[in-house]
This record gives sequence, C-alpha cells and structure tokens, in this order.
Amino acid sequence: MRLIKLTPQNTKEIVRHTAKVLKKGGLVVFPSDTVYGLLVDATNKQAVDKLIEFKERPAGKAISIFVSDMKMLKKIVKINNTKINLLNNILPGPFTVVLDYDKKYSKFKLSKNLMSEKNTIGLRFPFYSLINSLIAEVKKPVTATSANLSGGNPAYSISALLHRISKKKKDMIDLVVDGGKLPRNKPSTVVDLTSEKIKQLRMGDLSLFGNYKYISKSEEGTKKLAKVILKDNIKETENKSLVYILKGPLGAGKTVFAKGLGEYLGIKNIISPSFVIYYEYVIQTQSEKRKAKPRLDRGKKMVHADLFNVRDEEEIKHLGFEKYIKPGNIICIEWGEKSSNLVKSLSSKSKVIYVDISYDGGDRRKINVSSVGKKI
Amino acid sequence: MKILSIETSCDETAAAVTDGRRVLSNVVYSQVLLHKKWGGVVPSIARKAHEERIDFVINDALKKTARHSGRSEATDRILTKNRSYREHSSLQDDKRSRISNFDIRAYMNNIDYIAVTYGPGLAIALEVGINKAIELAKMYKKKIIPVNHMEGHIYSSFAQNSASNPKRPFEFPYLALLVSGGHTELVLWEDHLKFKILGQTVDDAAGEALDKASKMLGFGYPGGALIEVLAKKVNNKDFYKFPRPMRGSKDLNFSFSGLKTSLYYLLKDMNEREKISKLNDLVSSFQEAVFESIIIKTRKAIEQTGVKKLVLGGGVSANKRLRNLLRDLAKKHSGNVLFPAKKELCTDNAAMIGVAAFYKAKAGIFVKNFKTFERQPRLSINSKS
Repeated sequence: MRLIKLTPQNTKEIVRHTAKVLKKGGLVVFPSDTVYGLLVDATNKQAVDKLIEFKERPAGKAISIFVSDMKMLKKIVKINNTKINLLNNILPGPFTVVLDYDKKYSKFKLSKNLMSEKNTIGLRFPFYSLINSLIAEVKKPVTATSANLSGGNPAYSISALLHRISKKKKDMIDLVVDGGKLPRNKPSTVVDLTSEKIKQLRMGDLSLFGNYKYISKSEEGTKKLAKVILKDNIKETENKSLVYILKGPLGAGKTVFAKGLGEYLGIKNIISPSFVIYYEYVIQTQSEKRKAKPRLDRGKKMVHADLFNVRDEEEIKHLGFEKYIKPGNIICIEWGEKSSNLVKSLSSKSKVIYVDISYDGGDRRKINVSSVGKKI
Repeated sequence: MKILSIETSCDETAAAVTDGRRVLSNVVYSQVLLHKKWGGVVPSIARKAHEERIDFVINDALKKTARHSGRSEATDRILTKNRSYREHSSLQDDKRSRISNFDIRAYMNNIDYIAVTYGPGLAIALEVGINKAIELAKMYKKKIIPVNHMEGHIYSSFAQNSASNPKRPFEFPYLALLVSGGHTELVLWEDHLKFKILGQTVDDAAGEALDKASKMLGFGYPGGALIEVLAKKVNNKDFYKFPRPMRGSKDLNFSFSGLKTSLYYLLKDMNEREKISKLNDLVSSFQEAVFESIIIKTRKAIEQTGVKKLVLGGGVSANKRLRNLLRDLAKKHSGNVLFPAKKELCTDNAAMIGVAAFYKAKAGIFVKNFKTFERQPRLSINSKS
C-alpha cells in the first residue's frame, strides 16, 4: 500500500499517477465530493472482484460508478430526452442515478458484478474537479463505492479508515490518496430513474426535489431571482457565511446575479471584478425584511470574486478568502468551480449555493440553483 | 517638493520619484511576461510579487533620481528578462539584502513626502503598498499622502519629464475619460482635486470587454493590444454592427457586458474556419462597438456640461484608434484632447500618483493616523460636497 498526500502542488501529478494505477487494475482509496471512495477500473472484472472481496459485499448488491461527464454517461446507458433534462438539472452533483444497463448498447463493457439483480447500474457525475479530471484521464468509468466495509460507516479521513481495517485488507489496497479530512457531507442521494415514477432510494444531503431550475427572461429577472434566493437563506448567515458559486459562460449574467445580491444588501456599485480578481463591499443598509436583525449588518462584508483570469489552483490559496469566512459575510465567486479545493474549504464553514446560468436564446437564461444542505 | 510614490493597486509593482509635475524616475516591475505564461492576471503571484519586488522597485526609483539627474529622460520599465537590469542587480541579490537602510538613507533624506495608492483595487495588493509606505514613513519620519488610483490617471496627462516638458498649463474645467482594463469613467474635473463622476461602467470595463472578446476568439492575454493591430488591418471597419449598449440611456453610464452576449451568439453560428477567416472583421467590429459607445457618451457629456477640453487616462488610452476617434470628436466641438505623453503613463504607474500627490500635499491632505489608514478597494473619486 502506498500513501500519497494530496497538495495543491501535486494535484496534476496525483491524477496522472492514480489513473495509471487504475488502468493496471489497482485498488485506490481516493477523496470525493462526499466520502472517501474505493476506486477500480469498472471495466476490469478482476479489479472489480478484488473490490468486492475487500468490501465483503454480498453478491447482487450493486456498486455505482463515476463518469467524467454527461457524454460518458450517455455512452453507458441509453436515456430518453426527458431523463436527460432531469439529469442536466441535478448533475454534476451529489447524486447517484440508477438506470437500466444494456450490455449491447454500452460502449464500455462493465463488469457484471457492478449491476444489481435487476441489471441496473448506479452512475455518479460529481461536482468535484479532482474526480472529474481523474476519470477523464482514465477515459473509462471507475467504481464509486464508499471506502468502508459493507454495512460500516463511511470514512471522512484516511486515519479513520486505516484504523478500522485489518493488515490483510490494507495489503489489498494499491494506493491511498490522502486529501485530508473531508467535510462531513453525507453519501450521495440515490435516485432510481428506471421506471416512470422517480424514487429516492437513499437520502443524502440534497433532495432531488430541492433542486431548482428557473428561467430568467431579462437581467432584471436574474437580479430578482438572486434576491429571492438570498432572502430565503439570509437566516443562515446568523452563524455562518453564505457562499455563492456562479457558473456559466462569458456574458451569461453572473455579474448580473451578483448585482442582484448586492441590491438586496444595499450595495449599489457592483461592477465586474475580473480585472482585480475580487472586490470587497461593506454590507451597509438593511432591506426592510432584515430590519428585525440589524446586528447582522454591522461590519459585515460582501466579497465579489471572479476567478476567470486565474489559471492555477495554487494561486487561489493566496487570495485570502478564508479571512472572509465569518458569520454574516456573503461571498460570491464567479468561476468558483475552477477550484474544488476552494469550494471544499469554504463549504466546511459556510452554506454553499451553486448557481449555474446558461444561455437560452436572446435574453433568456436557464438558471439552475442547487445547494448541499437543507432546502434552498 | 520631492515625493516618493508607491502604486500596487492591481498587478503592477510601481514606484516613482516626482518633483512637482516633473517625473524624476518611474519604475514599473511589469508582470506582462508572467501574464503570458499564466494566461491572466495572477493574483497571488501579484501579492507575493508585490512583496518581493516592492523594495527593489523603490530602491531603483530612488537610485535613478541620482543617476538621471540632469538628463531629460527618466522613465524606465523593467521586464524580468531585461538584460540591463540583470547586469545592474539580480532580484535574488536584492531580496537577500532587502532595503539596506544605510544605502537608501541618503536618498530618502531628499524626499519630502511619501505617496501611496489606497484604492480602488485588489485588497491584498493595495495592502502591500500601504504597509510599505507606513514602514518607510515611520523609519524616515515622513508624512504620507493618500492617493486615489483614478486621481493618478486623471493627472497622468500633466506629468512632465525632468526638463518640464510638455508644458501644458492647467485650464480647468476638463472632462476626464478614464479607460482601462479595470475602469471606464467620465469625470468632470473642475479644479485641482475637485472631481465629479458623470458616468461609469455598470458592469465590465472597456479594456476588460476587449480582453474577454479576445479570449472568446481564442487568443491570449493581453488581448486588447492585439485587437488594435488586427482591427487596423481592415481599417477599423464595422462589419457586424454589434449593438451600442446604453446608447439610448440619458445618463452617462457605460455597459459592455452585453457585447459578450452578442459575440457569443454570433460565434455560436460560425464554424471554426469562418471564425478564422473573419477574425479581423470580428475584432474590428467589436472594437468599434466598444469605442463608439465611449464616443457616444463622451459627446453627450460635452453637450451636457459644455466642457470641450478632454483629458484621457488609463491603459486603453494608448490605443491609437480610440485617440483618433476622440481627436475627431474634440475637433467637431472645437475643443481639444490631451493624452499622457508616454505609454508608460497610460498604464498603471507610480509617477501619476506622485503628480496627483503634489496637489494633495499643497492642499494639506495627509494621512492623519497610520493605524487607521486602510485600503479602500471600491474607493470612489467623487469629491465630498
């Protein structure tokens, strides 16, 4: 068993090395967006059998797999447009979607032992760039089961995991990538899409029905949506900071959304921070609805950042975002998905809301809002 | 009045020594080479770089005043790969020695005040300059003049070389147009230190719009300068008629964000070959849309205020196409337009901070309490009325 500690400096190297181990049929413990996962090449029967032996998994119980993107997902399972729409709504995210597996259709020959008795397969496309880039490097689906023995508790740190397993088991592992202590997100929500009626088989942090998709017809509509969402979440800022991760192509309206947040907080001079990376604003006035809690406003800050011009994750560490993680502060980051480490470190002490804006013809925008945690 | 000025509002580490309007030395440690490597402004490197380079840049600005005294040119730009700079001293050596007090004391004795940019800009970058200014002010018992970065750009057309050229007497009032990667503002400049913002961008800056268009078209950073060259090849013609954002609005504000959306939809319907063959047409049309929007609002500002004398500042003011459009505009109104005398005075630099600081010092504006002197990332230039 080889153990490597993950640092921002060696991320690329680790991804490359892990991919190599996986391609050779190795068993790898690897951090994910939820808990530590046990990874093997899902198309390698021997590797999958080794995994099942390690987990002491009863036969017929399915093991889900990671895919790198929707493209890979569609190569594995045949899905109709309604389901694609639904999946676009929730993925990438902390969901496992269960779908029918057709051996003849799939471009990847998955090990039979990953399927359930009903020949269904669970698929994961997480909001976690480390896994996304790893699977893209392997170019094949990889198992996504949690790093624990069947029936045991999921592992959030390597030491907790290693403490629990025997020497024999340890010897079965080829590589451990230690990403530190993971934020205690629950395992993914499992959604069964094999029949007309959608069923949630296991409830994680996020409910399928707590994910919202909106259409905005104008800049004003986008701002209004920002205000509504902020209003619904403002209570959370009593004991933590609120973080918005804004995704979407250039010109989609990320800064417009930030301006909407600002307007709710009495900040009227928000402009694009792309050039200087981030601007800091003092939350000055209170919206009428906030009058009940004036103490929240004193000295609280809104930070509006844009990581568009940042190319290396290493750089993000030095931006000093940590000092803004305080109750009452609101941090809004465009292109925040560029840094999974940043999102990870923010999410341990903040409520994180993901806002994904895409073009929908003319001034129309699709806005997808999701959050790990309670209902939005 | 000799002023040592420090400017670290974004990604340039800069220091200068000025005497009134005369620039005795103007040192910018450019990160353009780093940008090319990374493909964008590099914030942490910016912070680290500011910290690592600020002593070197200040030392150099001070030393150059002695070396260049009596010479007409005193502007230097240092690039990482500049050989003469390597011969002069290596950054490593300089880091090791930091500021040698013994070395610069003589120079500091000739300095009357220290000026520093305290906003607007990137918080962690501004902090580096402010902390250094305070450190030097305490060490050498000098007063600090706080300067708004935009004040610097406004005064940049009045910076002179050490032989006091260009003369350019002040003839208030002026309309100041500040155009850069981070700012787009129209300011009524009524008198020394009397500013009133007439309009500003509500989203992206003009330079940022050009940089982002360049990114969407697939070329590197910085894109604005490249766009200028390519657009010139097709005589700055407007082929695609992008919208002129905010044209109809009565106010003097700018908006460039929507242009990205227009470009996005246009590119979506083009294949790669088309994009390449029409590249010059695309960038020329885009640049025209940005610049014409600026001209429309500047014209409105002239009409509304009756002020016909224009002053330009900011990195984009180096763009020849924009200069020509503004010259034409001024001519039509029988007015005139002033540009910074050198390209180095258009982009971020400390000399302009020193020139603005001179008028602030004359007005008795100094930092009263170092302990409460803080950076203001979204500082506005509007004078308190």
